[in-house]
Amino acid sequence: MLSIKNLHASVEGKEILKGINLEIKAGEVHAIMGPNGSGKSTLSQVLAGNEAFEVTEGEVILNGENLLDLETEERAREGIFLAFQYPVEIPGVSNLQFLRTAVNAMRKHRGEEEMNAAEFMKLAKEVSKQVDLDPSFLKRGVNEGFSGGEKKRNEIMQALLLQPKLAILDETDSGLDIDALKVVSDGVNALRSEDRAILMVTHYQRLLNHIVPDYVHVLAGGRIIKSGGRELALELEEKGYGWLGIKDEETADSAAN
Amino acid sequence: MKPAPTLSAAFLESAGQSLPKALLELRKQRGTALVDMPLPTRKTENWKYSSKYLKLTDEMASTLPSQGKALTGQEVPGYRIVFLNGVIQPEASEFPKADGIRVASFRDLDDQEAAELADQLDNTLDDKAVQLARLNAARFEDGLLIRLKPDAVLDQPLFVIHEVTADASGSAFPRIFVDAGRHSQATLVEEYRSSGSEPVMVNTVTEFKLADGAKITNVRLTMEGENVQHIGATGVRQQRNARFESHTVGFGGPLRRHDLHVRLEGEGGECKLNGVVVTQGKQHFDNHTTIEHVAAHCNSEETYRNIAADQSHAVFNGRIHIHQDAQKSNADMNNKNLLLSNGAEIDTKPELEIYADDVKCAHGATIGQLDEISLFYLVSRGIARREANVLLTMAFINELVEQIPLETVRETAHTRLNQFFDQTFQEV
Ligand SMILES: Nc1ncnc2c1ncn2[C@@H]1O[C@H](COP(=O)(O)OP(=O)(O)OP(=O)(O)O)[C@@H](O)[C@H]1O
Ligand SMILES: [Mg+2]
Repeated sequence: MLSIKNLHASVEGKEILKGINLEIKAGEVHAIMGPNGSGKSTLSQVLAGNEAFEVTEGEVILNGENLLDLETEERAREGIFLAFQYPVEIPGVSNLQFLRTAVNAMRKHRGEEEMNAAEFMKLAKEVSKQVDLDPSFLKRGVNEGFSGGEKKRNEIMQALLLQPKLAILDETDSGLDIDALKVVSDGVNALRSEDRAILMVTHYQRLLNHIVPDYVHVLAGGRIIKSGGRELALELEEKGYGWLGIKDEETADSAAN
Repeated sequence: MKPAPTLSAAFLESAGQSLPKALLELRKQRGTALVDMPLPTRKTENWKYSSKYLKLTDEMASTLPSQGKALTGQEVPGYRIVFLNGVIQPEASEFPKADGIRVASFRDLDDQEAAELADQLDNTLDDKAVQLARLNAARFEDGLLIRLKPDAVLDQPLFVIHEVTADASGSAFPRIFVDAGRHSQATLVEEYRSSGSEPVMVNTVTEFKLADGAKITNVRLTMEGENVQHIGATGVRQQRNARFESHTVGFGGPLRRHDLHVRLEGEGGECKLNGVVVTQGKQHFDNHTTIEHVAAHCNSEETYRNIAADQSHAVFNGRIHIHQDAQKSNADMNNKNLLLSNGAEIDTKPELEIYADDVKCAHGATIGQLDEISLFYLVSRGIARREANVLLTMAFINELVEQIPLETVRETAHTRLNQFFDQTFQEV
């Protein structure tokens, strides 16, 4: 489904990704772990098409198509979805309007009829229940004044509505209490299917108890320095990143937060 | 030094004689006072950014014909007054008729009413601040008088359609005077439109006198074409506990100027002024507002938003003047501006003059562009870039558009805004 080859990317002239290689097949769940600042969000943002990051080398193929040639919105329509580490607040645009515009853009792309306000309201209410967000959140501005956990649930709600082919979840588990973690994991598990892949960035083994990955990768210094099965996550939890020859202080700090 | 240009004598030439005597008299007096009036230049403080857009040619001095045009505006619900080139068209209008409410054309006033009105006109605006709108008093051909007796409540909004037909060069001078008695209430909607393509000027003055406890809502939609220079002034004087609410939505043009001057003269008065301006192409729009807290214990709340695209130019000047006796004044002014292109210009200036010591006065002005990260978030959900731009631009003014208390006006505004978006954000 997704094939990343020797991907280099920089921001403001500083190279962040220094040759990423990764193959993801339909139906698989991959977890990416790694110290703060190692480039996990950068990778996620580059895949989604954030132009703040410049790709200097390498290629990304999504189902035979050269992803890097596509505009952000085209990537989304081809099935890329990024749950942001820091979802954006947009006062003045209601969550409902935002979600409906997005869903209809996808439907239009697929040649399906757009949903009218009433139809969409019904769907949105169902899905908001699934992520345990009160429907009143639909009326509020996009993420406006949402708590950290509510924002993350809103991201999962979008994934459920948009039904992507590749869902990239950038620390969607951070800042969640135990119940919310369960809700979000259930949402992600509901997304799991044979024709869909999931790439999740996380610092915590605890998420991987709920969503069991097929592969775990360690990203450090802009490269994937180790890959393995889910047992790698357990090993990391036990030993930190030090044994891999990289500093782990920052990571320990963030885990304590 | 070159002498400042003055208003051409052609602009003061005698107009039609269809008004009652007292009003003709007033007009003549006001005209005499305007001989040799200096026109605003770059050096005129309150026209600093806008004088270059002012282009009054002698051809524009003639009065536009007020007859012989098929009229639009009939789609407006309820009470409706149609001005054609500054003159009320009774057959196209629907006057409210109710006890305690007098709505009439200046032309239909008897001598006594006309004399009474002549005494009241032009007492709400500061001549020096609205130099060009003074021309209206020298040239008006008709006007709308609205008198509300104490406790009278106009049961539906009154729409005033100001239609200008620019088939030849010329000017129109519509005028409205509202005298709201104690505890009376009314909503007045002014809609400015045009047809035709010759260069014309609309020079319009609207005045409100609010007695104790009166409540007036004024909606103003400025939507004339690319050939129309619009110079408008609204003057308001409020007595005890009166409340005035203004919602303006303005679309740019070759010259657009609105002066809004509110005087809070009685304790407990309140005003709320909302304004939205959008400009594109080479358009211009200039809002100058003044709120005077003359009496103590009054509240004012002002929120203006400008959006400028392409090479257009928007100006906001918000003055708050708190007089010495106006203790416990509460004034809040906020102006936010959105530049949609690097070639656009927005000039904003809050002016505070505070002479009382126990007041709360907050003001803020910002100028920014559409937020890249918000834009990325939206398009990352498959939303087209154009649509994302529209959503974010609307988000900037939505709050104000939604506060307009009438659905039909909101719809009109949305239709025009969509045209603006179509031209500003191309499909990619
Ligand atoms: N817009 C930017 N401008 C400058 N530097 C940036 C920008 N975005 C990211 N960086 C830098 O790139 C590096 C990688 O950041 P990134 O957000 O990808 O890390 P991360 O692995 O997601 O970290 P975390 O675990 O803290 O979320 C960091 O040093 C960061 O400061
Ligand atoms: Mg990150």
